[in-house]
Amino acid sequence: MMTTSDHMSAPTAVLRTVVLTVGLLLVGVAGLGVATDGFHAFTTETARRVAVHRNPPAVPATVPLVNQDGVHFTLADLQGKWVLVDFVYTRCMTICTVLGADFAQLERELAEPIAQDRIQLLSISFDLARDTPAELASYLTRFRGAGPGWQAAIPLTDDGLARLEDAFGITVIPDKMGGYTHNAAIHLVDPTGRLVDIFDLGQRDQVRAALQRELAS
Amino acid sequence: MTAQMLVQIPLLLMAGILLVPVIPTRLRARAARWDQGGVSGLVLATLAMAFWMLPRSLDASTTDPLVALAKFLTVPLLIGLPLAFSWPRAGFIVRGVFLTEFVATFFRLGWLYRVSPIRLCNNYGLGDQQRLGNYMLWIGGGLLAWLALKLLAGNFKSLSPSSSPGAPG
Amino acid sequence: MSILYPQNEMLESRERMVLNLYLVTSLVLFLVMMVLGLLMRLAQGAWMDMSPTLFYQVMTAHGAGMVGTAALASSAVMWFFLRKYVPLKTSIFLANYVLFMIGAVLLLVAIFIGKFAGAWTFLYPLPVQSLGVWSVGSAVLFMVGFLIIGVGFLLFYLDAMRGVIRVYGNLGRGLGLQWLFSGTVDPDHPKTVVASTMVIIVNSLGILGGAVVIVMSLINAYDPEIALNALFAKNLIYFFGHVFINITIYMAVIGVYELLPRYTGRRWGMSRPFLWAWAASTLMVMIVYPHHLLMDFAMPRWMAVTGQVISYTSGLPVFTVTAYGALTNIHRSRMRWRIPAMLLILSMFGWAAGIVPAIIDATISVNHVMHNTLWVPGHFHFYLLLGVLPMQFAFMYHLIGRDTDRSVSRSDRLGFWMYLSGGLAFVFMFLAGGHASVPRRWATHFPGWQVYDQVASLSAALVIVALSLFTVRICLGLMHTPSSAEPAPAGD
Repeated sequence: MMTTSDHMSAPTAVLRTVVLTVGLLLVGVAGLGVATDGFHAFTTETARRVAVHRNPPAVPATVPLVNQDGVHFTLADLQGKWVLVDFVYTRCMTICTVLGADFAQLERELAEPIAQDRIQLLSISFDLARDTPAELASYLTRFRGAGPGWQAAIPLTDDGLARLEDAFGITVIPDKMGGYTHNAAIHLVDPTGRLVDIFDLGQRDQVRAALQRELAS
Repeated sequence: MTAQMLVQIPLLLMAGILLVPVIPTRLRARAARWDQGGVSGLVLATLAMAFWMLPRSLDASTTDPLVALAKFLTVPLLIGLPLAFSWPRAGFIVRGVFLTEFVATFFRLGWLYRVSPIRLCNNYGLGDQQRLGNYMLWIGGGLLAWLALKLLAGNFKSLSPSSSPGAPG
Repeated sequence: MSILYPQNEMLESRERMVLNLYLVTSLVLFLVMMVLGLLMRLAQGAWMDMSPTLFYQVMTAHGAGMVGTAALASSAVMWFFLRKYVPLKTSIFLANYVLFMIGAVLLLVAIFIGKFAGAWTFLYPLPVQSLGVWSVGSAVLFMVGFLIIGVGFLLFYLDAMRGVIRVYGNLGRGLGLQWLFSGTVDPDHPKTVVASTMVIIVNSLGILGGAVVIVMSLINAYDPEIALNALFAKNLIYFFGHVFINITIYMAVIGVYELLPRYTGRRWGMSRPFLWAWAASTLMVMIVYPHHLLMDFAMPRWMAVTGQVISYTSGLPVFTVTAYGALTNIHRSRMRWRIPAMLLILSMFGWAAGIVPAIIDATISVNHVMHNTLWVPGHFHFYLLLGVLPMQFAFMYHLIGRDTDRSVSRSDRLGFWMYLSGGLAFVFMFLAGGHASVPRRWATHFPGWQVYDQVASLSAALVIVALSLFTVRICLGLMHTPSSAEPAPAGD
């Protein structure tokens, strides 16, 4: 190419540019395709749903938790049941109240399998600084989540919380009013302790349908 | 979000622009043979910009240090550098298409950020997202006004019949 | 006698080939779209069975097809004359054609295979909420088709912009803004450049608006949770849509400025009022679109009022200078009465008369009762069928002129009068229907309304026969014109 004369250079440069541009476009579009899981997931929130569907991750089974009655347990203790998990903080006045209402409703709708000990609802608080077993208990009372079918819990350590957040894909950022902004969803963990599905707020019907399908099979 | 998109990324981009003179002239001359009319460089920059416009990428760059590193490397090298390298060679039409799309993107993203009921990035609040949307609409409007003024009343020495084709900017 | 075919309008063989592509495609598309129009009128008149689903598909195709084709043919007129004054690239002109055809195929697939029937205005959120009549995929295909056509026109305008800037310094000087208040107006400053510059400015912005709203609609189609403000989307769509269709006349009128003086044998000078008119219209064409939204009660009141006022004045400046200029140019001239000249005169009449129903409809109190009636199709068919199209046909007939140089052939004369009478009867049936409160965009009409539809069908058939004559004549003429560059003979 060094010997290309000026006379020849314009057409070859056009050709090379066309080749390079087409190549760049192919690589670029393919790259964007990979980066968005085949143009499905443009946001982190969709991405974690897609990832979970493709390859259900195991949830950290050994993180020590304490529930609203002060009882210590880990997620391993819940294996053998389908577990619905959401992440909240008890002072939350916005999105967590919607989640709470969803859980209360689900507890009633799924009363039968819950009574058979096949389903467990679990709200995990990420506000280690403020939430205590007593706060959790009053949170549950607020939504009339009385029975053993719906428990609330806090991780005992910051490290445990970080591992849970990482596994479930939860991002918590402090808002400027002493509260938090966080992504809210209902997570479905199967009896072997794998996170198999994530549902949006308000998708209660889909959650119930998925569970009924799983329990029937 | 505002700080990342309107301060950090533009600064990184400028760093890339400043890198052009560092590249040896010989290398630049060889690259130019693959960049007739600046098309390849602008396409490369556009694709890289598209990647860093994905909310996922922005999110990941604040939580994953590897992605952050990728951002600090690719925004200067794959956006700023090719932009600055190819722009002088781009003709009026190539620049026009690029700028039209650039302005339109500001309007689209601004509009999107304003109306999206969901937070597009998990690391940023809705308020931040909407504020950024407003800023982007203003920036898009400002760019458009500047381009319109330039085209209506500006000076285009490079386009005069005596010199080679060039364009605004 | 003035020269009909100046040397600097000669076409090289490549240029001729591309121009012929534009012209033949336009004529064929016009014919097909007119047949679709006829089918709609037949269905409304109960002379033909057509399911409402198919009717709306046909309506969508007719609207999108006519708007696109009118723009295609008009841009050929602009290209042909503008290239005399500023350098234009044939490759870009060709690229616009290729992108147009790709886009057109997508539109047709979306409509006739994907069953998209949301009208050419793709008004949010109709395209993605079809209640199952068509899929979101076909709505997406339709909008992508528009996007591709828009990119083609953008390339064409950018090329023209580059040319104008290269020769005149900037767009302001192309428009002649420097002579608005003072200085001696250059008598040789081409009207073609003034009109083209206006078109470039206005339609680039229109396409930008369209590109924004189409991509946002696509995002909404992908994720319905991202709901757009419907009123804002409508504003942008009509800004884009109004500008795009309106601009077809401002491109085609270049043919009037260039050709009329040749047929009258009189100079048509440049003047300060002419520049003022085009400068004013540049602004007004962009802000007049709210007259499409006068029935949207949520629109800010000031916008509606502006829409009404600007509607009265928007078209007027350019129309006035053009019509006045044309009349003084014709008055006591030794006009060469050939087909191009006759079509040019017809176009001035169609433009003038087409404005009247528009102004009536733009009055808010009238608009509230008239806007959803056939009155509005009456207005824009008047303006397009008898204003814009005759300008384009005049240009085409002029191009093949050497054949028609000596005299007007009998078939051309017959075609002209058939087109004029059929066209008039056709648009008056729309206006009469509107006057009788017949709603527009209804697939099925009550028996009391059908008489308008039936007369309109007959007149449409007449127009189609006339256009077929034009098409055969022009296509044969274009084929006979030698493909290589050759000096065209001067007029008589």
